[in-house]
Formats: sequence, C-alpha cells, structure tokens
Amino acid sequence: MSSDTHNDMHANETAPTYGVLAEFDDVNGVIAAARKVRDAGYRKWDCHTPFPIHGLDDAMGIRPTRLPWLTLGMGLAGVACALLLQWWTNAYDYKLNISGKPFFSLPANIPVTFELGVLFAAFTTFFAVLGLNRLPMLFHPLLTVSRFGRATNDKFFISIEAKDPKFNASATIALLQAAGAGHIETVMGPKPSATKFPGWLVIAASSVFAFGLIPLSLAAKARFSTSSKPRIHIVPDMDNQPKSRAQTANALFADGRASRLPVEGTIAMGDLQEDVAFYQGKQGDAWLKGFPAQLTISDALMDRGQQRFGVYCAPCHGVSGLSDGTVAQRAEKLAEGTWVAPTKVTEPHVIVQPEGQLFNTITHGIRNMPAYGAQIPPQDRWAIILYLRALQKSHETGVSDVPARALPQLN
Amino acid sequence: MIAQHTETPGSANDVHLGCAASKLRNVGALLAVIGIGVAAFVTLGAENGVRHFMHAYLLAFSYALSITLGALFFVLLHHLVRAGWSTTVRRIAELLTAAFPVLFILFLPILGSVMAGKPVLFPWADVQLMHDDHLLHKKIAYLNANFFAVRAAIYFGLWTLLAVYFRKKSIAQDAAPSAELSLSMQRVSAPGMIAFALTTTFAAFDFIMSLTPTWFSTIFGIYFFAGCLVSFFATAILLMVSLQASGRLTAYVTIERFHDLGKFLFAFTFFWGYIAFSQFMLIWYANIPEETEWFLHRLNHGWAYASLALLFGHFIIPFVGLMSRHAKRNRKVLTFWAGYMLLMHWLDLYWLVMPAYDAETPVFGAAELGSTIGFVGVLIACFAHAGRNVSLVAANDPMLSESLSLQNQ
Repeated sequence: MSSDTHNDMHANETAPTYGVLAEFDDVNGVIAAARKVRDAGYRKWDCHTPFPIHGLDDAMGIRPTRLPWLTLGMGLAGVACALLLQWWTNAYDYKLNISGKPFFSLPANIPVTFELGVLFAAFTTFFAVLGLNRLPMLFHPLLTVSRFGRATNDKFFISIEAKDPKFNASATIALLQAAGAGHIETVMGPKPSATKFPGWLVIAASSVFAFGLIPLSLAAKARFSTSSKPRIHIVPDMDNQPKSRAQTANALFADGRASRLPVEGTIAMGDLQEDVAFYQGKQGDAWLKGFPAQLTISDALMDRGQQRFGVYCAPCHGVSGLSDGTVAQRAEKLAEGTWVAPTKVTEPHVIVQPEGQLFNTITHGIRNMPAYGAQIPPQDRWAIILYLRALQKSHETGVSDVPARALPQLN
Repeated sequence: MIAQHTETPGSANDVHLGCAASKLRNVGALLAVIGIGVAAFVTLGAENGVRHFMHAYLLAFSYALSITLGALFFVLLHHLVRAGWSTTVRRIAELLTAAFPVLFILFLPILGSVMAGKPVLFPWADVQLMHDDHLLHKKIAYLNANFFAVRAAIYFGLWTLLAVYFRKKSIAQDAAPSAELSLSMQRVSAPGMIAFALTTTFAAFDFIMSLTPTWFSTIFGIYFFAGCLVSFFATAILLMVSLQASGRLTAYVTIERFHDLGKFLFAFTFFWGYIAFSQFMLIWYANIPEETEWFLHRLNHGWAYASLALLFGHFIIPFVGLMSRHAKRNRKVLTFWAGYMLLMHWLDLYWLVMPAYDAETPVFGAAELGSTIGFVGVLIACFAHAGRNVSLVAANDPMLSESLSLQNQ
C-alpha cells in the first residue's frame, strides 16, 4: 500500500526518453543500417536479432572485447596461486616425505596447477561475461515496447540510446528512416522515482542481515569463552554408553580400577610357547646350536627362507647379503648421520653366531635393525636362518660343493 | 547471406593441379628415391648399419603414416559430426589418404625384418629372447611375427578401405550432385571411426611401443594419435598456403578457414601436451622399474635435451604462440607455426624411435634426414598422383555454401 501512494505522489512527473527503436524486415536490411549508424559515429546503440548474424559485429564496429585478457590474467593468477599453495603446504608449513620425492616437485604439482588455472580462468570468464554485459538485468526499457517481442521471432531491430552524445531525436529518426527502417518508435525510460530502491525492501534486507548475525555472534562468543556445561549434543548416536572405559575408576571392585587383569595363569589361545628351542632359540641358558628338532629341513623350507629373506631382509642387507640393499644405498646417499649400516651376513662374527642367537636377533632386532618377531612367524624365522646359512656358505665355496645335478646349470 | 554464395566463385582452373600434378609427382618420387637411397648408402655397410638404417627408416615411415592417419581422422570426423565449416578443406585430406597403399608397400621391409626373425628393429623378433626373458615370455602370444603380420595387414587393409571409400564417394559427388552420397558417407563414418580408433591405437603399440617390448603404456595409442592430428593440421595449413601461392583455391579457402585450422592446430598441440604429461606423470609418480625404464633412457644422457626440447618446443612455446586469435588469422604467422609444428612432430617421433637404436646418445645425420625427406617425397607424390584429375575442393557438396559463408565472430 505504501508503495502505491509513493507512486501516486509522483504521478505527474515526466518519464525521460530512453531512445529510439527501429524495426527492419531482414538480415541484409539490418546489416546495411548498422553500417550507416556506425559511420554516423554513434556509440550507445545496439542491434537485436532473433539469431546470431555473421558479420554483424564488423558492421556495428564493435571493438574487440577485453574478455580474453581477463581470462588469461586470471588463469595465470590461478597457476601462481596453485604453485604457492603447494609450496606452502608441502615444502614450507608442513613437510611430508612422500616416497622419497622432493618436497617441492613440479611434476607432482602440475595437476593441481592445471586445474586451478582452468578454474580461475573459467570462473573469471563466466562472471566477467555477466559483469561486462551488466547481467542479470531485471528490467530494460525496450521490453515496454510490444513490437519488440518479435526480436525473438522474425524481426530485426536497432535501438539508439538518448544518452549517446550524438543523439538528436529528429536527426536520429531521419537517419534510421534513410537506412530503411520499416517502423520507428520513441521509447520512454522508467520514471526517476521507479528506479529508486523500495524502502520496505531496504528494511527487510537489513532485518534479515541483522538476524543472520545472531548465530554467528553466538558461535564467536563460544569460541572465545569457557563453559563448565557439556557441549550441545545434537546427534547423540551411541556416544554415551553405560560401560567402563579403560583407565577409569569403578567402585564395584575392591581396588577401584575399571580395567581388570586376566586370571593368573591364563594363556591366550595359540600363545603357549613351551618349546624354548623353537620359540626363543635357547637351549638351557645358552643359544641353540643347529635347528630345533621339530623343524624338517627341506628344499621347500630353503625356498621359503629365500623368499622371506627377499621380502624382509634384502631391502637393507641386499639380495646377496652384502649390505647393498636399496634402502642401505639410499641412506648412504642421503648421509643423514643417524644411519647405522647393516651388517654383512658374511662377517666372521655373524658366521660364528649360533642359530639361536640369529633367531633372537630377528625376533628382537639389534642396534638400528627393528624387531621382526611380530611380522615373521617363528617357522619363517627359522627358514630365513636356513637360507642365511646357505648364503654365507655361497660366499666361500668352490665347485666341489655344488651337487652333481646342478653342475650343468653353471655352464 | 547464404544465398549470396551459392554461385561457384572463381574459374575452373584454379581448383585443379593441372599439369603441375605430374611435375609434383615426379619431384616427390625423385625425393623418395634419393632420400631413402642416401640413407641406405650412408648406413648399410657400416658397423651396426642395418640396425641404424631400419630405425631411421621406421622414424620416417611413422612420420608419413602419422600425417596420413591424421588426414583419415579428419575426413571421418567431418562426416561423423556432419560438419559444415570444413567442406572446403576436406578434399585435401581425402587426397592425402591416398598414400595408404604405398605406405603398406614401404612397410614390407619392416615386416620382413620381423618375419626373418632378425631383431634389427624389434627385440621381440628374436624368438629365443622371448622364451628366456621372464618379463617377455608371457607376451609371446601377442608379440610374434605371424600375428604381427596379420595385424599389420588388418590395419593397412582397413585404412586403405576407408580412404578409398570416402575419396571415391566424394569425387563421385563432383560429377553428380547427390545428397544420398553425403548421407551414405555419414552412415559409414561412425563404424569407420571405431575401426580407426582401434587400428591406430594398436598400430602405435605394434610399430613404436614394441621397440621396447618390456615397456607398456596404455595411453600410448592416444599419444601417437595426438601427434597425428598436430602433424595433419600443420600439413593442411602448409598445403593450403602453397596451393594459394600458386593461385589455386583462393576463392574457396578464406582467412576464416585458416583461422579454423589454426584453432585445431592449437587445440591438438595442447592435447598432445596433456596426454604426454599424463603418460609421464603416472609413470614418474608410481616409480615402478619396468615402467620407468623407458623414461629413464629419455631423461638421461643426450636424450634429456630432446625431452626438454619437446616440453618447451612442442608444448609451451607453441601454446603461447598460437593462443592469440591474431596469430591464427595472419597467414604468415600461421604458416610459420605450421612448419614449426611439423618439425616438432618429427622431433617427437625421433624421441620415440631413436633411443631404441642408441639409448646413450642421440644420433642425427644423413640417415635420419634422408629417410625423412624420402618419405615426405612419398607423401607429395601420392598427393599429386591422387589429385591429378580431380578438383581440389568438393565443389558439389551440399555443405559447401555453409562452409563458404561461415565466419568466426
């Protein structure tokens, strides 16, 4: 209601002239007319056609658009941002070693760089097209002309704005007539009061904005203050359960601890390791010499040992046991100081070690070598030792040790 | 607008090669004989000469094949998408595809080396090696001489068939205008495109990738295809420019068509870079020995320079150079880039083939130059021979007027 009275107050104000609109019947007509308008020196004018016309840009004398430069510039900015982002995150702020590759490594950075370059360029193009064309445009004075609807169907139009410095109502109309326009109409712009922003909308928008600040300010307050109350639990799921957690107190038991020890003497299934020779490599207090009695020495065990050695040992000790594994080589190259070179399996002090001691070394590790007990089952540890013995022997052997059946392969 | 252009512009003699056809054919044939002859003369007899000659020969053969395949793709694509703009330049591509049967004959020395069990080119031709090598013995079912010969026959058979079909129908339209001819070519183009994709991919695997039989890259076919298109569009631009310099086609091929060809040259230059990097990055990142071997040779010794030359010369520099609309609408500038990209495409194939001959040092000399000139001569001779009595433009194609009136805004 208030807006109605608002308009009534200005009922007698005059609408300004927007410009003139000329109608043409065909493509050739509008192109010829566009050339004439262009040559007459008009700047603020446009053509409206039902479909794109090749050559119309040229006939109108439209200057090349700045859009490609915007796209190129922002595309390059995207490339720069991507490189900076990756350098900052990977090589400066939080270094992560990914399979030994350099922290800042161009080949790995290219995909993100390419995508961000394309993203910046595409967004820029999209929004620049909207901006340069002043879109979205909710109202245009030409839409008040009923004939103008045919610009989307079968007629061609040229509109010249009154804002153009060369605009002169009678002269402009005469020019369009001379150019062959079928119908010419003067178009009125909106009344000045109609272009004002409606007051009620300002109030509504400000209110929505003010209400929108409330949750934000609550969040900001919570961020910088402390509270003894539990936080708001919106989705409880199974977060709160009536059970005892580890390392907490529980009055039910005499000692007040929630965590309970197993009954004394309990052994988990499969953990009964009575055979100290097989599970610890011991014979009484001394290291076991030779292999445990329950182990069957066979070609299959030797093959298994070779294969396990290749998986667990060769990366450091080398395939031939000469401490030239790829990890050792890489560590030598990096020369980082904390590295202790792996022992050669052919060292005399290794050769004289009883099998039980070697078993213990594999199980618990030694110096820099980690414990492999958790990874390699006892049977496989013995298989590795069996292969290790063969490896040691292979370094100081002659043809006399080669079995007759394998001799032909040597030649 | 369209109605203005239905009259055929120009006179009849500016769309024919005329007496220049036989002259061109003779020059091309002479280049072929001299070029390949020189290559054979300087290599055969020297130590390792047969291997050197065969690698240089394969390089030049791939160069000619890639341009011809690019032309076939262009013809197929034109009909597949019912294109209008390319009608005035399509005949040039149709004439280029006439080289397929001749290329098949020139392929016989390569096939012969494989059939004879001589690993002068492909190490897998050595049957004993295939049985002994752990990485290779499972590939025997694919990499063997007989199957290789069958595949090559299928590739060249299909290519020749497609090339002849589209050229015959298109030329028949010159004499008797008929929309039915266009429609039948459009119908064949879709299955033709599938056949093209499969044969080109596997031909790239067979002729080039299998030079290093332990190495494999599933994207290799597309990589080769990208090079085919780059070289074809560069060739088309150079052909247009030289035909127009002799006064032919001037009324048909306007700056708008050069602009369009330039856009494709630009697009496929970028496409090549995209594919080349995709191939490199996955292998580089995964760092698996049997895959990195191939790049390791190309990133060390003298080959590192060739790799860098490709990165900058085949991708970054032409990407910037061809980006602007003005570069594509200036005949002189576009001609420069077309010639430049043809050189770069040669470098690309050189980089693919020659490390198989010498992984330590890039060799370049009369063998490489001679055989390349020879195969360019073959292309010229085939083009001239196919174009001796036909119009250089598909004059009665229903899409011609559309092609003539199209403008780039």
